[in-house]
Amino acid sequence: MRQQDKSDVHSVTPEVVIEFLKKTLPFNELDDKTLQELALELKLDFFPKGTVIFRQDETEVEYLYIIQKGGVKIYLKDEEGMVTLKDFRGEGSYIGALPIIQKTRANLNVETVEDTFCFLLKKETFLNLIQSNSRFAQYYLKSFSEKFLRTAYAELRQHRVAPKTEGTLYLFSVQVGDLVKSDPKTVPTSATLQSAAAKMAKYHIGSLLVTDEKGDVVGIVTDKDLRTKVVAQGRSITEPVGSIMVSPVEKIGSHKVCFDALLMMMSKKIHHLAVERQNKIIGVITSHDIMVLQGSSPLYLFREIVSQRKIEGLYSLSQKVPLVVRTLIEEGAKPNNITRMITILNDHILDRLLTLMQEHLGTPPVPFCWLLMGSEGRKEQTFRTDQDNALMYRNPETEAEKRAAEEYFSAFGQEAIEHLVKCGYPRCPGDIMASNPKWCQPYSVWQNYFDDWVLRPEPKQVLHATIFFDFRPGYGKLDMGYDLREHLNRMTQRQEIFLLHLAKDCLESRPPLSFFKNFIVEKDGEHKNRLDIKTRGLVPFVDFARLMSLKYGIKETNTLGRLELLYQNEHISRELYVETVEAYEFQMQLRFVHQLEMMEAGKQPDNYINPRELSDLEKQTLKEAFVVISRLQSIIKDVFPMI
Amino acid sequence: MPLIDKITSLWRKSHPVIQENHAYFREFDQARKLEEYDFVVFDTELTGLNSKKDEIVSIGAVKVKGLQIHMSQNFYVFVKPRGELPKDSTLIHRITPEQIENAPPLESVLKDFVRFCNGGLIVGHYIDLDMGFINKATRAELGGIMANPCIDTLRLAQVYREEQWGNYYDQFNYNISFNLGDLAREYNLPLMKEHDALQDAIQTAYLFLFLVRKLKKGGITTLKDLYMAGRSWRWLF
Repeated sequence: MRQQDKSDVHSVTPEVVIEFLKKTLPFNELDDKTLQELALELKLDFFPKGTVIFRQDETEVEYLYIIQKGGVKIYLKDEEGMVTLKDFRGEGSYIGALPIIQKTRANLNVETVEDTFCFLLKKETFLNLIQSNSRFAQYYLKSFSEKFLRTAYAELRQHRVAPKTEGTLYLFSVQVGDLVKSDPKTVPTSATLQSAAAKMAKYHIGSLLVTDEKGDVVGIVTDKDLRTKVVAQGRSITEPVGSIMVSPVEKIGSHKVCFDALLMMMSKKIHHLAVERQNKIIGVITSHDIMVLQGSSPLYLFREIVSQRKIEGLYSLSQKVPLVVRTLIEEGAKPNNITRMITILNDHILDRLLTLMQEHLGTPPVPFCWLLMGSEGRKEQTFRTDQDNALMYRNPETEAEKRAAEEYFSAFGQEAIEHLVKCGYPRCPGDIMASNPKWCQPYSVWQNYFDDWVLRPEPKQVLHATIFFDFRPGYGKLDMGYDLREHLNRMTQRQEIFLLHLAKDCLESRPPLSFFKNFIVEKDGEHKNRLDIKTRGLVPFVDFARLMSLKYGIKETNTLGRLELLYQNEHISRELYVETVEAYEFQMQLRFVHQLEMMEAGKQPDNYINPRELSDLEKQTLKEAFVVISRLQSIIKDVFPMI
Repeated sequence: MPLIDKITSLWRKSHPVIQENHAYFREFDQARKLEEYDFVVFDTELTGLNSKKDEIVSIGAVKVKGLQIHMSQNFYVFVKPRGELPKDSTLIHRITPEQIENAPPLESVLKDFVRFCNGGLIVGHYIDLDMGFINKATRAELGGIMANPCIDTLRLAQVYREEQWGNYYDQFNYNISFNLGDLAREYNLPLMKEHDALQDAIQTAYLFLFLVRKLKKGGITTLKDLYMAGRSWRWLF
């Protein structure tokens, strides 16, 4: 039924396609001729809302999908069928790039959340573009550092709690100069192929640099050259190395980071790079070196922190934490992993700081426990969050011990806070810090504090609860903190009145949707027409998780951790759990991106989002997230029918 | 001469491209999946709506294969009408007399157009109008009309609207528009420039894909299904 179209004479390059590509990253990097060729090849497909385009581990990806209109959600499903939302993509975004580049099946599920039109670009064409156009390639490579994503997904699938995001950290922080293990091994151009091979075998290396009579490096021979140019072509092993070497050698400056090296290798399709320092070649690195580096587990920054010998050295290291966040966001890490990563790094800074302080202040008279409150206690820190901490020490047994402890910990608390401020953690405006004598007390006093809040609840007590009741031990004698938590749990579960107060507080904030489903935004002042995503969006989730955890004796302080335990102990339904986690993570993600943008613009990060700057898809998703708040509130009403 | 011979003699006289056209559809199987058919989505720009005196000034068409729009497989021509180009039509499609000054006459591109359509099913928005103009021309120039089965997206849009509302009385709601641009906006389709034959054809192709996938909640798989959907039992009453 097919016949040659002789009517080609009347066909034109479809302008609509070219216009679309010209305003779509990274296609706008391509020249007109390439765009014309692409436009002739693109096909357009339509997927109604709810269509699953990719099925994880099943779909063979034949095309890069570029979304012209509509939107998709991207999610993972683990063995138990648990769904984890990864991302939303809207107009101008792509799906399928990673599996095409990795030559794997779809690594995630992709489902349309709106009626969606996509342009389809054949995978062969896409790969050709990546190989022939380095700026085009960089766009995709930057948006996923291949290795990182793979480990991140694997981690999600295994439900592992501890973040293992080592790959990226190394890629962006280690300089290639640091990878060079030994002086470059060289052979003169006149050396025979056999002697070159013998030298490579002797040193267990896969390449040799080739030098001319003056000793300057003029080329490189690799394992592959010996394979493809000598053995495969039946060349004589007595021929000189110069006859097969690749020249000139690709070089990279020693101060460049590994990521740049990886990019260069990928774009030039080579595996060896000569490392140059001040016009001198100091060694050769291979793609293998970078991969090995990525595979090692302790974090690079982490390693620097724990090996720090001076308190002052911590000041600059802690400034690096937000840089890590940036990278993680760019790589598409889940918000909860990001906050946990920040928490771990901050915890180690704290650990180092307090340890070093004890070295010069001397051993404390009694053991103590440093308590972290609020978002630090929940392991939910974003960028620079205010300090919320306290100090608790073992009950002194004698009057002398009491005085010694008061003196020591007063000085210790003051000094620690000073150092933390210099590390870049702002003071708590409410003065909830270990430097405040009220919050630097022995165990018995702390126990009384909590008893008082729980047994005689007043509005202010409830407010305290939201900060103090998320405490976790951060340093020192952690058992003391766990004991306090144990004590608190036993008590709160019996104290219906206190819980009712908390529950009432949860119901007070209305979800930020008006009757007509528009956003409720701030009415006036500095943040007019903006939405406070923390207070209105995230806090209800945090409050819900805290309330239910106190009610059911769950010791965890992290919101997602609390929700998971609530679900596992069958206090909330699976459906609600999944919905809640999705809604919470999406808002966290929005907040991260917002704060990152502010920081890059040189402003102090805040929580005020302008709904008008959100895409339709984001708005829609945010609204759906807010609807979940109403559901949480109706659950609270069920659990606490007396309100 | 018996009537049958008269007809066959007419048949014989028709241009090979028309004979070829008819050959495709002599035995036509409706039971195959929609993805297996080729569709030609087309639109014309006219000097006016009266098929007796008005003429075609531009034809745009694009192919849909495997239910995907193949953007590059398109057909786009301007045509020089025999008569004057009325000013009021220029106001709509913005084709000026200068633009078509050097355009070929319809008869010289008609064969190419029929060839472009051969083997495909024709899709258009209010397609009867465009086909009326095209067939008038093919009958005069090529000695026969095109036999391609036609699908009207306007008709499909009406069926879809009824499905959406499911309320008999809504048929009397006169505020609804079945204008191509209005439908595209209502269904949130990517929007094309209106009143350009090729862009309108592409717009119609988007509408076609949308309706085919959305009708019967995605339950349309064969051409026959689509035909039955278009018939819709409601019209029996």
